[in-house]
Amino acid sequence: MTVKGLSAGYRRSDVLSGITFSLDEGEVCAVIGPNGGGKSTLMRAILDLGTRRRGEVRISGSDTSRLTRIEIARLASFLPQEYDCDARLTVREMVLLGRHPHRSSWSMDSEEDIEIARECMELTGVTKLSDRLFCELSGGERRLVMLASALAQKPSILLLDEPAASLDFRNQIDVWRLLGRLGSLGVSVLASTHEIGIASRFTDRMLALAGGRCLAFGTPGEVCTGEILGEVFGIDLAVAPDGYGGFSVIPMPGDSRL
Amino acid sequence: MKARRMGAPAWIALVVLVLLGVVLSLSCGPMGFPDDWLTIRLRLPRIALALLAGSSLSVSGCLLQGLLRNELATPYTLGISAGASLAAGALILLQPMLPVIVFLGAGCAGALGASFAVWALAGAAGGSDAPRLLLAGVTVNLVGASLLLLIEYFSPASRLIEIIRWMMGDLAAVDATVPAFLTPFVAAGLLLCLPRSGTLNQLSMGDDLAASRGVRVGAERNALLLASSLLAGGTVGAVGPIGFVGLIVPHAMRRLTGSDNRLLLPASALGGMAVLLFADVLSRVVAAPAEIPIGVVMSLLGGPFFLVLLFKEGRRV
Repeated sequence: MTVKGLSAGYRRSDVLSGITFSLDEGEVCAVIGPNGGGKSTLMRAILDLGTRRRGEVRISGSDTSRLTRIEIARLASFLPQEYDCDARLTVREMVLLGRHPHRSSWSMDSEEDIEIARECMELTGVTKLSDRLFCELSGGERRLVMLASALAQKPSILLLDEPAASLDFRNQIDVWRLLGRLGSLGVSVLASTHEIGIASRFTDRMLALAGGRCLAFGTPGEVCTGEILGEVFGIDLAVAPDGYGGFSVIPMPGDSRL
Repeated sequence: MKARRMGAPAWIALVVLVLLGVVLSLSCGPMGFPDDWLTIRLRLPRIALALLAGSSLSVSGCLLQGLLRNELATPYTLGISAGASLAAGALILLQPMLPVIVFLGAGCAGALGASFAVWALAGAAGGSDAPRLLLAGVTVNLVGASLLLLIEYFSPASRLIEIIRWMMGDLAAVDATVPAFLTPFVAAGLLLCLPRSGTLNQLSMGDDLAASRGVRVGAERNALLLASSLLAGGTVGAVGPIGFVGLIVPHAMRRLTGSDNRLLLPASALGGMAVLLFADVLSRVVAAPAEIPIGVVMSLLGGPFFLVLLFKEGRRV
């Protein structure tokens, strides 16, 4: 995926300006930055969901502004932070909903759909939940089911808006480890997050957004420095390698702004 | 808990229930069991009306519940039926001699006007989420009902009995005209919504998720609203407002099929037919030889039935 000079905003205000970066096949990228920094807007602008936008987005070589919604849906799947889950649907049915762009609206689930849904549930480890009702699951289980449903869409890139937010520590690690594994299966991942420490261990790239502009893009080692993260979040920070391929972020006690 | 899904036996049972309703409806009435073709021919249009009205009211309820992601959404709570009543009712009072098709058309126009008014009002209030839409619907409902009352107030007393009777719901059909005119409205509504049942599944998950899965949200939602207005509006224009069908039938069917609209819409259509057939039989039998209006029967049965469902659900969760 290539994003070139992407600017986007809502009715009046511009939220993003001049974002440029590219991800290779199978690269996992974390988008970090303060609240209101433009992380969600970036995801929505890439898919052209209710934003005004300028600039170019190419996925697997095709310019998305020339594609129909359904063609985009076959290339990229998206998990928003919020989705409605009152529906009386089982986990399997929920995952099968991800097959929508690959079939006509009235057709029932084909053998192929069911097989793909099974594989995706296997991958995210929710197979044993498949006959449970989605609305009765815990927050962490729901997140894994929704990930399976996004994967059932068979995208070449997965856009995730804070996939591990409000999960406990263990579930956060599970989600990030899974995202890291997806990269090795050839699926690119762009996921916004506040868990910089965990994400830095499982990602290939990091994109730092603040004030709607890209402050840094590179490997976790390049982006996770006290200087860059301090500028992104506007506080004094120190960053130390955690010894296992990731980084720990440490707020400095002497900062007058704290 | 393992969720069960409706299998072939349940579908057959639903169809049998509808057929049973047809037979029962054929054999009940002031002239007793029909022994001649004339009586049968008199009762057939009424059965046709019950089938058309039952399926369209409950499917219309399903569509709105999916679009709003709220099980309380029906043509009634959203003011769509009030819009249809206002348009058709005003015509009945002012121009009673018009052909039936005009009333159906007016009902549809009123329903369409009301549903787009509800969405526009909610949009102007900051967004089209379920609570805003329901509030806007309640408002449109009250305003529509008041306007109709106003027209009634200024109408001659001789015309009032007609409108009051119509407002209670009336399946009585003298000949095949009304069902024949209603059929294309129901057919168009069903043809518009049934092929979109998978899309409705996506829309009921939220706009962003639906769009990211390839749904053109605005266009598809308008098509489904149009379908729901054709179904509810045409039916209200033909038989008057009959409440609770759009609420209890989808609610009951959802326990069999789950929320998958590809199963829920056809099941609700069948369920609606059966419920209205049986309610119509009751309306003719209970106080025979007099008839109780079908709208009153539905409300008297539907209210308690819905409460039972509500309490059972509350205890389980």
